[in-house]
Amino acid sequence: MRYYARKLGFYLVALWAALTLNFFIPRMMPGNPVDTLMAKLQQRGGTVDPAARRSYELLLGADTGEPLIIQYFAYLGNMLRGDLGVSVSVFPAEVSSVIGQALPWTLVLVGLATLLSFALGIVLGAVVGWRRGSWLDSLVPATTVLAAVPYFWLALILVAVFATALGWFPLQGGYDVVLTPGWNTGFLGSAVYHGMLPALTIVLSSVGGWLLGMRNMMVSAMSEDYVLTARAKGLRTTRVMTRYAARNAVLPSLAGFAISLGFVVSGSIITEQVFSYPGIGSKLLQGVQNNDYALMQGIFLVITVAVLGANLVVDLLYGFIDPRTRVET
Amino acid sequence: MTNPVPLSTPAEEPAAAPPEGSGTRARPHGAWRALLPSRSPKLITGLILVTAIGLLGLFGPMFAGDPDAISDASFQPPGEGALLGTTQTGQDVLAQLLHATRGSLQIGLLVGVMATVLSALFGILGGYFGGVVDESFSLLSNVMLVIPGLPLVIVIAGFVPAADRGWWTIAVVLAITGWAAASRVLRAQTLSLRSRDYVAAARVAGEKPWRIVSVEILPNLLPLLASQFVFAVIAAILAEAGLSFLGLGASNSETLGTMLYYAQNGFALQREAWWWFVPPGLVIALFGCGLALINFAIDEIINPKLRNTRAGLAEGGVAAGAAGAPGEPAPGEPAERPAVLTISGLNVVYRTARPVHAVKDVSLTLGRGEILGLAGESGCGKTTLAYAVSRLHTPPAEISSGSVTFHDRDGRDIDLLALEGEELRGFRWAKLSLVFQGAMNSLNPVISIREQLADVLTTHRPGMSAEQRRARCAEVLRLVGVDPVRLDSFPHELSGGMRQRVMIAMAMLLDPQVMVMDEPTTALDVVVQRGILREILRLRGELGFAVVFITHDLPLLLELSDRIAVMKDGEVVEYGPAERLYRAPEHPYTRMLLDSFPSLTGARGAFLRDGAAARHDGRTALPGQHTHLSEGAPR
Repeated sequence: MRYYARKLGFYLVALWAALTLNFFIPRMMPGNPVDTLMAKLQQRGGTVDPAARRSYELLLGADTGEPLIIQYFAYLGNMLRGDLGVSVSVFPAEVSSVIGQALPWTLVLVGLATLLSFALGIVLGAVVGWRRGSWLDSLVPATTVLAAVPYFWLALILVAVFATALGWFPLQGGYDVVLTPGWNTGFLGSAVYHGMLPALTIVLSSVGGWLLGMRNMMVSAMSEDYVLTARAKGLRTTRVMTRYAARNAVLPSLAGFAISLGFVVSGSIITEQVFSYPGIGSKLLQGVQNNDYALMQGIFLVITVAVLGANLVVDLLYGFIDPRTRVET
Repeated sequence: MTNPVPLSTPAEEPAAAPPEGSGTRARPHGAWRALLPSRSPKLITGLILVTAIGLLGLFGPMFAGDPDAISDASFQPPGEGALLGTTQTGQDVLAQLLHATRGSLQIGLLVGVMATVLSALFGILGGYFGGVVDESFSLLSNVMLVIPGLPLVIVIAGFVPAADRGWWTIAVVLAITGWAAASRVLRAQTLSLRSRDYVAAARVAGEKPWRIVSVEILPNLLPLLASQFVFAVIAAILAEAGLSFLGLGASNSETLGTMLYYAQNGFALQREAWWWFVPPGLVIALFGCGLALINFAIDEIINPKLRNTRAGLAEGGVAAGAAGAPGEPAPGEPAERPAVLTISGLNVVYRTARPVHAVKDVSLTLGRGEILGLAGESGCGKTTLAYAVSRLHTPPAEISSGSVTFHDRDGRDIDLLALEGEELRGFRWAKLSLVFQGAMNSLNPVISIREQLADVLTTHRPGMSAEQRRARCAEVLRLVGVDPVRLDSFPHELSGGMRQRVMIAMAMLLDPQVMVMDEPTTALDVVVQRGILREILRLRGELGFAVVFITHDLPLLLELSDRIAVMKDGEVVEYGPAERLYRAPEHPYTRMLLDSFPSLTGARGAFLRDGAAARHDGRTALPGQHTHLSEGAPR
């Protein structure tokens, strides 16, 4: 139980740190973002009601003479209520509803692609590690090339080859715009079809890292006594490889999930831009380009919460897979 | 905090131990060479890539024309005039590429240096000082690690007006968001260094902390720092490219990312102007790949296990012509019992750069139900012998000649060196089982005792029902004096002695005719050790298996074994009944081994041993630190 409590505690601290960063960043930056925002709002014919202004001030800071600490707690209160302010670029939509529309796209795309790439990397890494010394080792340098390729460039190449030149996949977008989004086969099929290239980009770019990590841990695990014992026991090779070597080798990969997930999410944001995918990454850039600070910050928070949540799930899973973490140390 | 472990934490991986009798003697002055990267093809390719691109970035811009010069030749494919074609506005792609390479390298190096300094500061100091400093530093780095970096950078860049977004701003932001992972790796390594003897000595000697960190610890962290620096450079170049591609890079900078930004916005994709958007990404990929290859070489210094030995975990190889040669009759006295295992003329060689002849022409006979002691100091080849007999040796070890024959209960002779594949797998454990030297680590830490016992039965006795399996597992545990409740435990929940008992129980599951025990009790305290030895003797009496007992502890063997073979440098120098070996050792080495275990009463005659008789009616006493072995011994 203590393991889970500590994990939960850590992620709460991380969440608080992210919220605090979000509070201080705009206040440390030059210029007066609230005025920029209000000017922009007026340009678009939005009415500047005092409540909206107050919400922006809490989010971005302004010289209202109010003590920082009061602003801070009021800000935290707003965040906890899910009040992320009003978007300027999609005025008068609430930031939370803008995010709500974009989030499912990214969650499904990045989530599925990451799971796929993790599974693929672990399985391939286990096999390559197990057959160390065979021709499979030549795969290892190949994966480093893939890992060093910028996500968005790989996306550009894939688009150039499979969309522009061959015409197999659509150039951009998340679905065929003539369709209305909904739970019907036409739309879902179109969404899957449009998601292929972005997903392929994420899988290709991230699989190498998982593969390499798993391969190295596999090589280490194979020299452990319990693997020798398993061989001496006359167990079948597949069982020695999976239950004894790979089962232990996968633990560091799971534990290192946090680090890798950050990279994958970062890469995916830029990938969305290449494909004009209607996800959260594109919205983040839309926010940046339009000085839509509230949207920007809201999206940063949502991404952070999602990443923290995914890591928490992996950590809880880890406690389940590795019996040693469950005991008090 | 229990935190995720970075993918390869050198500190947590035990150094690769060379097989007994192989590496240690083979490389007397190889220690220094081992610290240098081996000149592998990987390293050379990496160095060539990095140097070539580095030189392009350094000197290329001097020879290239003005990258910003606009001309009418829009979207010219590569050819004369423009080697790499032109952009939408007729700019020379090659000139742009060279300038951009320089820009990307500059920011990569700058961020790499800053991030490495930050990570060293937090990681090393935290690891060294420990306590609150460490707690807060590692909390900080862990929080930085789980907050996704690029979105944070984008938000920060979004707040800074484009005009104020200078080169340094971007570099500082990237460094601040990129140091955490390296810091954790460095901390782990510092923690392990801090507990080493020489650091402790320096602390006791009253050296100043900054001196200890810089003189004793930092040099040992250099390979790791180098590797983290290389990582930081790759990460920085990639992150900067991403930012610039989004139009959020440093203003007025020319990097590979900005090139791609203009390519994307100049409709290079739609116009299929591949010469515009392919080269920048390729340069990033090749440079990153080169750095990663260099990192491999550094990793192999830190973690020698990763080095690619040509041969993998193939089943133990037997050189052609090894089997067959009928061995000489075993030296020493002829066995009174029928033999269960005959080893004759066995030679094992480690085919390393300097081949090591680890087992030389060994011939031994193990009688049915006999306890054969194999004594010798570490590195004498006794473990190699045991592995070769059970065909568990892995390349580079190879049986060069000799034969090992197993005489089955039903009278069939099995040539062990000729067994392959399924036959070998089926033979293992069913007829010959092992209890290993590292028995403490012989249990898989992540699956339950029950599963590790039961999988032997599911594999070898597929006909058994689940109920029968459960009963058999409980039965063997009871045999070694472990409560069957422990079946549901995980290895970490058992004490060392109990784990060892579980291993012995496991070895008995299939009622084997031979058990090889390699230092089965060395890591245990004397009382536990005695208990387990007593158990082995009793079970041998009840079940009638033969034991090959390997240890460096000759007095222990004198008490335990029927016959003893003494090994030195791969050779059996003396082989005979325990009794005779004790009373009249022939070889000087045996005498030396006997003398090296002093007894409390001083004289060697203090070994009150009465051969087989004493063992059987349970009156065996040992000198010195040993407690009484047999259950009935007077106290």
